[in-house]
Amino acid sequence: MANDYSADVIVVGTGVIGCIVAEQALDAGLSVLMLEAGPRVERWQIVENYRNVPPRFKQNWNAPYPAKPWAPHIESELPDATTDYLQLEGPNGRAYRQGYVRYAGGATWHWAGICWRLHPDDMRLKSLYGVGRDWAFDYNTLEPYYTRAEYALGVCGPSEVELQWPPLPRSKPYPMGRIPFGQGEQRFTEAAARVGITNLPAPQARNSGVSYDGRPPCCGNNNCFPVCPISAKYDAASALPRIESKGGKILANAVVYRVETDAKQNIQAVHFFNPNKETQRVVGKLFVIACNAIETPKLLLMSKDERNPNGVANRSDQVGRNLMDQPKITAQLLLAEPMWTGVGPVQGSSIMMTGQGDFRSQHAGAMLRCENAALSAAGGLAALAKGLVGKALDTEIRRLSACTARLTIEHEILSDPNNRLTLSDKKDWLGLNKPNIYYDVGDYVRRGHQEYTLPLLKKLIAELGAVESQIATTFTNSDHMMGSCIMGTDPTDSVVDVDCRAHDHHNLFLPGGAAMTSGGCGNSTITMAALAMKASDAIVDQLKRG
Amino acid sequence: MDILFRFVGAAICLMSASSAALAAGDDAQAASIKRGAYIAIASDCSACHTAPGGKPFAGGLPIVSPVGTIYSTNITPSATAGIGQYSEEQFARAVRRGIRGDGANLYPAMPYTSYNVLTDADIHDLYTYFQHGVEPVDAMPTRTALPFPMNVRLSMMAWNLLFVGSGDNLTDTTQSAEWNRGKYLVDGPAHCSTCHTPRGFLMQELTGSYLGGAQVGPWYAPNITSDATSGIGSWSKDELARYLSTGSLPGKAQAAGSMGEAVEHSFSQLTQEDIAAIATYIKTVPPLHDASDEQSRFDYGKPFSELASLRGTNPIRSDTDAQASGAVLFYGNCASCHQPLGQGSKDTYYPSLFHNSATGSANRDNLIATILNGVNRTTPNGQAFMPGFGGKANDINALDDGQVATLANYVIEHYGRPGAPVTPADVAEVRAGGPSSSLLLLARIGIAVAAAVGLAIILLLIVWRQRRARMA
Repeated sequence: MANDYSADVIVVGTGVIGCIVAEQALDAGLSVLMLEAGPRVERWQIVENYRNVPPRFKQNWNAPYPAKPWAPHIESELPDATTDYLQLEGPNGRAYRQGYVRYAGGATWHWAGICWRLHPDDMRLKSLYGVGRDWAFDYNTLEPYYTRAEYALGVCGPSEVELQWPPLPRSKPYPMGRIPFGQGEQRFTEAAARVGITNLPAPQARNSGVSYDGRPPCCGNNNCFPVCPISAKYDAASALPRIESKGGKILANAVVYRVETDAKQNIQAVHFFNPNKETQRVVGKLFVIACNAIETPKLLLMSKDERNPNGVANRSDQVGRNLMDQPKITAQLLLAEPMWTGVGPVQGSSIMMTGQGDFRSQHAGAMLRCENAALSAAGGLAALAKGLVGKALDTEIRRLSACTARLTIEHEILSDPNNRLTLSDKKDWLGLNKPNIYYDVGDYVRRGHQEYTLPLLKKLIAELGAVESQIATTFTNSDHMMGSCIMGTDPTDSVVDVDCRAHDHHNLFLPGGAAMTSGGCGNSTITMAALAMKASDAIVDQLKRG
Repeated sequence: MDILFRFVGAAICLMSASSAALAAGDDAQAASIKRGAYIAIASDCSACHTAPGGKPFAGGLPIVSPVGTIYSTNITPSATAGIGQYSEEQFARAVRRGIRGDGANLYPAMPYTSYNVLTDADIHDLYTYFQHGVEPVDAMPTRTALPFPMNVRLSMMAWNLLFVGSGDNLTDTTQSAEWNRGKYLVDGPAHCSTCHTPRGFLMQELTGSYLGGAQVGPWYAPNITSDATSGIGSWSKDELARYLSTGSLPGKAQAAGSMGEAVEHSFSQLTQEDIAAIATYIKTVPPLHDASDEQSRFDYGKPFSELASLRGTNPIRSDTDAQASGAVLFYGNCASCHQPLGQGSKDTYYPSLFHNSATGSANRDNLIATILNGVNRTTPNGQAFMPGFGGKANDINALDDGQVATLANYVIEHYGRPGAPVTPADVAEVRAGGPSSSLLLLARIGIAVAAAVGLAIILLLIVWRQRRARMA
């Protein structure tokens, strides 16, 4: 079954990055075919899945997204489920248990919508602090693409520059005004101020007070994880019907397993399995692999041929290396007075300034945040564990739900070639290699946590008036996968160029988290989206030039 | 010298007088433009003549009518594409009689059947506004091309002969000035009957059923007569005023579709006095009662939830092939905003689904159209927004006709007026733009209009023969 499918631009992956590139290409008059490994379902089905999930699974954001056999992802916290697909090893393997979703729409189905830009200094780690890598361009180069990405997603944020991050002039204001703080976040902001640090309102891809692109304003279902029931938060699933209305084709349940090159090192085709394990070949003029920092390098490594013995796009041997995330430490607090989290979105603010400083030559900084999810589930489980019944139980559930708070630290990590994705010998349902990941957060992060962020966290806990607190001792994942097809100008130590084009293949683009040279301590999506905008311009330019 | 002084003095007097006259003229014109702009708002000209995202009054909005798609015209003062070359008389003829500057007939999508009661003073202000208060746009919108026989614009002459009123605007001296103002606004600029009065075989308004409720594309413009059960007789004058100004009357109704547009572009921007006048008049419209209405459409339903029995037992999951029940569709699509009991939000931004005309009406089309198309209404009070669930490019879910029917039936069963269920075919009809766009009706109307044209020709022939007979 050869050449059943073709288009100018073949996009593998239907998450935020694939959707941005697809829509930009369609708007420029190019034909687009998108291939998605997982199924395509309606929002209301996910909503009902979630509401019917047993309480003990409710904290796992992938639980409402049952994995198809041909597109596995981590689905629950059960031991089997966590080890079945991702093969994790190294000192901090647990911290790379990434909860991405292999469904049409991708992981933005259950992102928080937080859109922190990188700070200019985050892009110059080597020259300023002598650690990590410098980006191939500076913040000012990226700024217009950030703005375009914010308008594509519909980001709300503060209009005052001192409340923006970075606190620098923007080419355009945020498309919508900020969402006000709930009571819990307000209290956290005041506590932080007493410690001398500023908690900023988060820019977020969420409609504040008005509709955007046909999606309604946020009404505070506090349900951003694991799905916005009303699509007030941007997710790529909301872009799919629009892409189709512009003529784009979307093929779900199509698991791309091989990228085919020709003698001139151009990409000729991609091959996919359908759920019947039949293979099909898709040809195009230009190929975009937008499967983020685990599935993208996995596909490239699986595609090795005689011309590319280490895998496609991997002359530098950097494909799969430099894996980054933001190693996370969480804390649960019980306060004397109610905190009242849960009003508004699940996250709405963060302390960003603690990621910046000369200390970065010695250790990591971090973003600190008070989670704004309603903690009735945690409160309920804790009250039940006390063996209470009747009115006493009811009262205790109410007290614990109101008085519990969760704080989070997400650390900056340096790119390290030893943090690496390789192909496991273990095979999935289709017979494809499972990803094997070695991960060590490194002394830079450990030192940063012990010497800097842990003391800061303890100050905040005291300032909030906690009567009890538990601080996690294990780093966990933030789901911000980055670095595994790292960007640079030197083809011998990087995978993609400044436009996310593979150094080795002129018509192959790898936009998204994998291309990021560094990640700072903020959420990665808007930087990925900005890179996708930049790549889209290059893609359109390349195809229009002929 | 004396003479010279007198002459100079007279000249100065003359000059200052003429500049004063000029200034007075400017002031008068500015005032006329201002009044004309208000009448344009009251007449909701922009609803049709401004396309979404287009320049004001540049036309091009496609209006789906029973006889085909009509594109609104450019009514900016552009001499080439608009009405810049219209005299006031030509303008008046177009607005009041539906006759274009070149003598061709307009289609009655332009509500000249209502505008024909506009006073000379209002026409003058409207003319001044469109000539001097609107930016000219030189772009010609898409031309209307209706199928035969409607493409014969002459056929409208016969229709006009039969169905256009005298245009007399008589004051009822037994009523208050406010009532008379209200009647003028309702029957003239606001052209309420265009949507709310049912139409007959030839698409003419049935004056005997004045404001008794009618189909408008996918939406249903309900009975707004003073009948307490079938109409809005149960509304107080203040409630009616609140509805018109904001598009929302919690516990009773909210405006969507073309009424949402009328509230957004017109009613919400009228003076409180005019809104009060409209309410005063509407309250006196003779009641029309539908014998099948046992209770008001605003009183049906009550809070209801079956969540407790739904959760944890045989849940539908996205990876099962089971048909979703009405309850599952309701909780997955509706309850996140309208709440598990269907009670809406405390601030009434999200209306309750019971005590709501959309669910309590015997006509199901507004419920279906709301599910498919959502609501988007902006007034000085802010935006009221509900997304669409019918699978359009920006809709948040893509429910098919069967699912919408299942969901609508669940809603009317538990929160609205039970009775005849919604069928997938009903949903398909609303999705396609409403019953009036069906080909059958198109053909029927086409033939009927052709018959009317034929009738008119026969009549003309009779007159001609009689004249000839007399001459002979």
